[in-house]
Amino acid sequence: MSIHIENITKRFGRFTALDSVSLHIRTGELVALLGPSGSGKTTLLRLIAGLELPDGARGRVQFHDRDVTLAGARERRAGFVFQHYALFNHMTVAENIAFGLRARPRALRPSRAAIDAVVQRLLVTIQMPDFGHRLPGQLSGGQRQRVALARALAVEPEVLLLDEPFGALDARVRRDLRRWLREFHDSTRLTTLFVTHDQEEAFELADRVVVFNDGAIQQAGTPAELRASPASAFVADFLGLPACAV
Amino acid sequence: MAVFTEPALPPTVSLSPRSATSDPPWIRVCLVGAVVVFLGVLFVLPLVLIFQEALRKGWAAYLGAFADEEMHHAIGLTLQVAAIAVPLNTVFGLAAAWLVARFRFTGSRWLAALIELPLWVSPVITGMSFVLLFGSQGLLGDWLAGHGVKVIFALPGLVLGTLFVTFPFVARVLTPQMQALGRAGEEAALTLGAGPWRVFWSVTLPKVKWSLTHGIILCSARAMGEFGAVSVLSGHIRGATNTLPLHIEVLYNEYQFVPAFAAASLLALLAVFTLILKNLTATAAAGANPS
Repeated sequence: MSIHIENITKRFGRFTALDSVSLHIRTGELVALLGPSGSGKTTLLRLIAGLELPDGARGRVQFHDRDVTLAGARERRAGFVFQHYALFNHMTVAENIAFGLRARPRALRPSRAAIDAVVQRLLVTIQMPDFGHRLPGQLSGGQRQRVALARALAVEPEVLLLDEPFGALDARVRRDLRRWLREFHDSTRLTTLFVTHDQEEAFELADRVVVFNDGAIQQAGTPAELRASPASAFVADFLGLPACAV
Repeated sequence: MAVFTEPALPPTVSLSPRSATSDPPWIRVCLVGAVVVFLGVLFVLPLVLIFQEALRKGWAAYLGAFADEEMHHAIGLTLQVAAIAVPLNTVFGLAAAWLVARFRFTGSRWLAALIELPLWVSPVITGMSFVLLFGSQGLLGDWLAGHGVKVIFALPGLVLGTLFVTFPFVARVLTPQMQALGRAGEEAALTLGAGPWRVFWSVTLPKVKWSLTHGIILCSARAMGEFGAVSVLSGHIRGATNTLPLHIEVLYNEYQFVPAFAAASLLALLAVFTLILKNLTATAAAGANPS
């Protein structure tokens, strides 16, 4: 599913998180939103998910050909993975993954057996087939992150949004999970956006990198394009390129 | 003979028994001493004396005090008032905590302060203002009388007074916890397509269940022990509108010390029981949400 964002402005009090941002994401892309903290990348991700609504009347968010500007998170059904996982700590791993399917209105809810089958299939996908009965408190950070992914995927979203997905993990787990996500994306071609402040991570994983600063997009392009011609001194500096290349 | 060779324990090198950041011993001794004396004189000693007075004429007299008709009625009425006021305040408290913790709107600070109002308004004033509002000479008096509803000097008045006085307890315990836990869980549930009721029942409520229990316990204890507001609103009609705390006053003023202290011992036991339950639920709450 493609995502079209036009003229999005978002303020929190007097702080401008996003200033008239426009961006187009093609179907099946794996895109990194890269920037220092407070640059607006997470706010844009939350706006796409419907967890925030844009200010003013000029902004527009479109999923494929559907205008979702004013739709809430519940209607948009974007798969969202939170920075600190936001698992339901009182539910088992299996219950966490099944949550979205069980929350459907009765007419649209799959049968119990069908839900169990989905949960088991996802547990295999995240390589934790025997962890269904565990509680989130008994898992490591990397395992929690994978459960959060499985929970988001269970409702078959058309877009996957990840907020700093590897931020809280140690280096080795981060590398494994990165590789897993790349392989998962290659096999499913699910439109995926992830937020990161680590340029190495963005460059290694993403088809296209969008660089943010001060609530505005500085540059968007493939890693090769960004390396070859950074648009500004900020981009060059943030990507660790020699400033003379500008 | 031992098969496994245990690794030798490293020699203890700690020379100073106190940690680097703790205060000098004499400060600790003085503080602990002051607190023990203070608590002893103000809390423990009175509690012991209540039971001593209640049992002055032996167990038979103590138990005999509870065989009294008016005592039965007072206990029953107290439980009845609490049974109505506590569930209502649980719902109101949840709603208020949710509003204050989750939304920033004009006046939300004032709302948060208003929730605590009953804690620093004298209950007697509460009682009197309710009389002015609902009494036969009051603002709503004629309308209520026209509909045959008696509020003041009757059960509805007692419930209203208790509702007001015990309102803050659930909200006060829940609000900081709801703020601390954030709303990521609720947001996750929303993106998964859950409706507001489902989010509340299966995400929010399980997260705060121990704090909620904690708040309900405090609210119940206060509801059963309330004196000031209820005293004004009840009219002290013996065997009709006297709750247990009011009945204790009546007995005491009539020099019936054994029944008065026997009744007081019930409330004292309630307080001790509350203290134990409160600590258990506080521990459980801390255990359920490790940060």
